[in-house]
Amino acid sequence: MTVPKPLPGAVARLLGEPRGRLLACALGLTLLTAVAPRLPVTGRRVEAVVVVDITGSMNTRDETLGGRPASRLDKAKAALRALAADLPCGSRLGLGLFAERRTFLLFEPIDTCADFAALDGAIAGLDWRMGWEGDSRIAAGLFRAVALAGELGSDLVFVTDGHEAPPLPARGGPAFEGKPGAVRGLIVGAGGHVPSPIPRYDDRGREIGFYGPEDVPHENRFGPPPPGAETREGYNPRNAPFGGVATPGTEHLSTVRETYLRGLAAETGLSYAPLDDPAGLAAALTAAATPRPRPVLLDPRPVLGAGALALLSVLFGFLPWRARLAGAVSRLRHGA
Amino acid sequence: MTLLARFGVTAPGWLWLLPLALLPLVATAQRRVPVPSLALVPADGLSRLVDAVLTLAGMAAIGFLVLALAGPRLAGESVARTGEGAQVSLLIDRSGSMNETFAGRQPSGAEESKAAASRRILEAFVGRRAHDLVAVSAFSTSPMAVLPMTDRHEAVRAAIRAIDRPGLEATNVARGLGLALSQFGPGAPQASRVLLLVSDGAAVIDRRVQPLLREEFTKIHPTLYWLFLRTAGSPGLADRPAGEDSPQAAPERHLDLFFKSLGVPYRAFEAENAQAVDEAIREIDRLERKPIAFVERRPQRDLSGLAYGLAALALGLLVAGKLAETDLAGRRPASREAAPGSAQTTRRAA
Repeated sequence: MTVPKPLPGAVARLLGEPRGRLLACALGLTLLTAVAPRLPVTGRRVEAVVVVDITGSMNTRDETLGGRPASRLDKAKAALRALAADLPCGSRLGLGLFAERRTFLLFEPIDTCADFAALDGAIAGLDWRMGWEGDSRIAAGLFRAVALAGELGSDLVFVTDGHEAPPLPARGGPAFEGKPGAVRGLIVGAGGHVPSPIPRYDDRGREIGFYGPEDVPHENRFGPPPPGAETREGYNPRNAPFGGVATPGTEHLSTVRETYLRGLAAETGLSYAPLDDPAGLAAALTAAATPRPRPVLLDPRPVLGAGALALLSVLFGFLPWRARLAGAVSRLRHGA
Repeated sequence: MTLLARFGVTAPGWLWLLPLALLPLVATAQRRVPVPSLALVPADGLSRLVDAVLTLAGMAAIGFLVLALAGPRLAGESVARTGEGAQVSLLIDRSGSMNETFAGRQPSGAEESKAAASRRILEAFVGRRAHDLVAVSAFSTSPMAVLPMTDRHEAVRAAIRAIDRPGLEATNVARGLGLALSQFGPGAPQASRVLLLVSDGAAVIDRRVQPLLREEFTKIHPTLYWLFLRTAGSPGLADRPAGEDSPQAAPERHLDLFFKSLGVPYRAFEAENAQAVDEAIREIDRLERKPIAFVERRPQRDLSGLAYGLAALALGLLVAGKLAETDLAGRRPASREAAPGSAQTTRRAA
């Protein structure tokens, strides 16, 4: 029986030479990526309840999605689905709705990787028709959402356009009674900066045009009148403390109330991020939320791959460069 | 979405290293063999081919490694999966009265609200039916799609845990039923389908909506279970009201009659306390199991394994090139003498 001699000889020669060793090591490291197991380590991940405003103003079509006009709610859904896909495995997201002045929890935080299909489908299924009442008392809803996230021991992502309907009374909105910063997270501002009309629907859910200036209240007449009301036309301290005529306004048009939302964010200890942030919500949320230690699986492949790449760079970059340098030096020395 | 638009990388910073892939154009992994003059070597097509292949392999090895490090992925992936069991569409009443006890009071001390009881029992139910696909919908004034059909019971439990949070106002069962039916989706007609309605009351189903619901029930043909969490002392399903027997006067009774008229397998469980609810669930538990094919969306497909594989292939070619390399002539110590003079030629040859 004869063993083919050239092969072991060739292997010996391959390993007997620096280039051969580099190449063999690079191949070995690359092949290891296929079999290397994932290492269980403790990583830092976010856990948040996402509460989405589904009130009427979120139907305003002043966002763009894939180059086409889209409603704020559709844009929010797309951004949240991207958020769920972008967050690293081990992160957890829950989902809730906001309408009227309440938040309604659909489900508690679930894993964004293992339960992705369920999470993604649930976000895709969000609809303004799920709303139970037409009011949009953002501040009250936000404070309840903060309390809800606190009860669940998670952070909060509150997606809204900040359009209070009815408008806040002259003395301002409700005060935040929680501890600012106890729940961290994001207020995500949806909508454009140009006042846009809000679509209107009939009781069967069909679109029937837009809200006009006469369809919405432009001033909240609960509580004491604002200072200066006595100079209004038809003012009567008892019968018409807000003046005798309807206040004109632009409450039928909607923009993202960024200043207002930033104020609410400061009051509650949350951060503010615009919905159309090109970097996506994942980076903003990771920066704003509390990192929670969670068991995660570490992928060892980048380390092995980077090692192989470094070896190849030496092989194709450093060694030829050194050889060339040596050649040039020797030429100079020999007076070529 | 086109394939290119779905492609993305996790760590784009690595891509700055892609120019490294040009290195093999000016360098080789092969050993240099000094020859006095290139003219000694005859022009050989095969050698040129081998040279080109090895250069390309070097570029591919570096390029694919860089790409693999950047974490290539394909978004919007779907995978076909097969489950086993039944498709269960849970429809849960989230009206305010669910937060009261079976005695119709606010829960105090050890008392359990109807929502808490259904939460506890449904959690156990989902735990026992490990192979089912479950969808969750809720309804109060309006229907709310909570979770699409999924076999991820961790997600289903997270949705069930949310049902004893404060509920909303009214009970609009008709739209809830419509939503729960739509949760079955178009696929898997052979699967055994179960619609489980959990509510503590009913409302009048609009006469205009009734034919639509009837049509949907006929089309999807689910087995319908109604877990009626009856508040103690309130009329049951069989009780005729003393006065006029209209849907407005006895909505529960008339909803029951409507369900009976649908022509689908139907059973109502009147549960006045937590034990009765338990028994009802056990009955539902005895359902048959059939394979169900369904399509599930994935966050993305990780392509880095593929990139590493291609890099390994290219590296394999390079190693093969090294293994096959041989000298033009036998090894001679004399070659060292020739080395300084031939450096220039070697470089050109390389």
